[in-house]
Amino acid sequence: MNFLEVNSLHLDVGGFELTGVNLEAEKGDYVALTGPSGSGKSLLLETVIGFYAPKKGSIFLEGRDITALPPDKRQISIVYQDHMLFPHMDVFENIAYALRKKLRDKKQIESEVRQIAGILGIDGLLHRKPTTLSGGEKQRAALARSLVVRPKLLLLDEPFSALDIRNREKMREALKKAIREYRTTVLHVTHDFDDIWSLANRVVIIRNGEVMQEGDPESVFRRPSPDFVADFLGTNVLKGKVRALEGKLTVLEIRGPGQNQIPNKIQKQNQNQNRDQKKNRDQSQSFEIYSADSAEPGEEVSISIRPEEIILARGAVESSARNTVKGIVTGISKKEHLVLVEMEIGNSAAGNSGQGNSESGISELKAVVTPTSCELLDLGIGKEIYAVFKAANARIIR
Amino acid sequence: MQSVRKIWTKESCTGKNHEKNCVRDSCISNSCIRKTCVRNSWFRNATIGISFFFTFLLFLAVGTLLLVLKPSELLSALMSEEMLYSMELSVLTASLSTLTVMGCSIPTAYALSRFSFPGKSLVKTILGLPMAFPELVLGLALLLLFGQGFLGPFLETLGIKVPFSKLGIVVAQFFIAFPYAVRVIYSTFEDINPRYEQVSRSFGYGEFETFRNVTLPMARSGLFASAVITFARCIGAFGAVLILAGGSYMHTEVLPVTLYLNISYGNLEMAITSGVLLMLIAFLAILTFERFEGGSL
Repeated sequence: MNFLEVNSLHLDVGGFELTGVNLEAEKGDYVALTGPSGSGKSLLLETVIGFYAPKKGSIFLEGRDITALPPDKRQISIVYQDHMLFPHMDVFENIAYALRKKLRDKKQIESEVRQIAGILGIDGLLHRKPTTLSGGEKQRAALARSLVVRPKLLLLDEPFSALDIRNREKMREALKKAIREYRTTVLHVTHDFDDIWSLANRVVIIRNGEVMQEGDPESVFRRPSPDFVADFLGTNVLKGKVRALEGKLTVLEIRGPGQNQIPNKIQKQNQNQNRDQKKNRDQSQSFEIYSADSAEPGEEVSISIRPEEIILARGAVESSARNTVKGIVTGISKKEHLVLVEMEIGNSAAGNSGQGNSESGISELKAVVTPTSCELLDLGIGKEIYAVFKAANARIIR
Repeated sequence: MQSVRKIWTKESCTGKNHEKNCVRDSCISNSCIRKTCVRNSWFRNATIGISFFFTFLLFLAVGTLLLVLKPSELLSALMSEEMLYSMELSVLTASLSTLTVMGCSIPTAYALSRFSFPGKSLVKTILGLPMAFPELVLGLALLLLFGQGFLGPFLETLGIKVPFSKLGIVVAQFFIAFPYAVRVIYSTFEDINPRYEQVSRSFGYGEFETFRNVTLPMARSGLFASAVITFARCIGAFGAVLILAGGSYMHTEVLPVTLYLNISYGNLEMAITSGVLLMLIAFLAILTFERFEGGSL
């Protein structure tokens, strides 16, 4: 039996519900729970800690059924986004309060408090009231309070989401250090993929109170399973059909706009535009993508390509990468310290603007580049661009 | 007004000049909308006029009460045996009622705020009733309940007599102030995020320990404010006290009863003095309430 086992948990709390959530964690695991807002992640945490009684299902911790135990008997701690430090106690008292139920000896309590305060870098703040602390300091204090009791399980409910990026990074480092020291198993609800990358060894994606996919971050990000997960994770998803196998590579035919929605559009167009349109349709053939994953010929599949795995080029370059797709830049936006470039692909009549738009079934591709590359390539909306990526990075998802 | 109307440019529509002269219907300056452009609205003038007139009347009434007696008259009325008795009994009964009210309304408000239970909305409705319920009727109902009808004979075997006794004053004050106290404390508890309690529970503290260590200290300023307002309500309670406790001279005579009795004898000085006392208490209570309700202690 696993260290933590949540078995087909059902719960309905005014608008939010869990419908048969299953979750497992080994001792020492760091599990990130993610999914769209309102998907029941926080509710799951509050059920695990015992604030809500599930309608159906069970929770086992260390082989013991804790489903019906009150929260004070579970030895599970929680850190909320809004820290919940007791305002009538100073930081020291907040942390010591957590220990008082466990330890009687004052000296021992003090040394435990000082130890965790040292690890999290709040030793200088112990005699401050929570209202005088900054956001990051409050979260460190809250984390210290939750960890000092050495809980069997630590629950983090978006603890960093109210912090700025720099503080988040510092907090992650502090958290990592503290987790190593206290050897705690963690369930961490987050919307921030950086949290998942830098902290978690397992990730669980939840939607509408249901687990959609789980696994180690690497495989979930590289090979997101249902389309929803792929879309939620921000990866590119292209739908296509397996045409042939070429050695170890699978050749996929990605539907271009010519095959589906353009004819409908033609009916709406003026007669004299018809010829242009037709020409455009002939040019916007479907295109091929090579994938290193195996599939059966004729199979309908989706492929996922991570935006950071796409290289952008001004012209068709010869390289070891098997895939080169031409497109037009449709959007450039800042994404933290990088630039997100959106492009339309599959329309070989590139530059013939006015005809192609995303409604006509043209696939979109997102790529992430540095601001310097963006400048060097002289990227601009409407400009022609080539997306280059390896066959190994075009992963088939079913 | 038409004579000052002219075309205003964006520039001329700012600054001092603007406020004095602008009569444009379409002026977009904030100060203009608030202060100038609606200057001649009859509706605005009427509402402001009414608010001033009646506040002034109220002020005049309160002021008269304070100024009508000479200090020497006030002092002699204050030092009279009847007034001293009345003050002492008032403070004593109101303190006792406040303690009981707080002791009962804190658990009631907490249950209403945190737990769901069958009959919760019924409890809420019944607690809301006295807000619109005439005090005299409440007194009558209490008299029937504690009198010969229902609880009376039972309590009498225990040696407890509620009607026409000092205990009756406390009982009447309790039922007058209890629903208000529950309201104030309820909103205090509602303002405390239950997650504070959940965090405390997760460290191994039981429900009551958490309530004592976390909820009560966090609610203390709200509790203090509600105790003050409860005390003021208790000391000023009249109708129910008169019916249940009888309002007899130097026996169940609290400050409002003193006012009432002396007015009927035509003894204005005593009546006014008790009025001044009651008003001061109310004034202090409201000041304290405003200071601490929702604030920090």
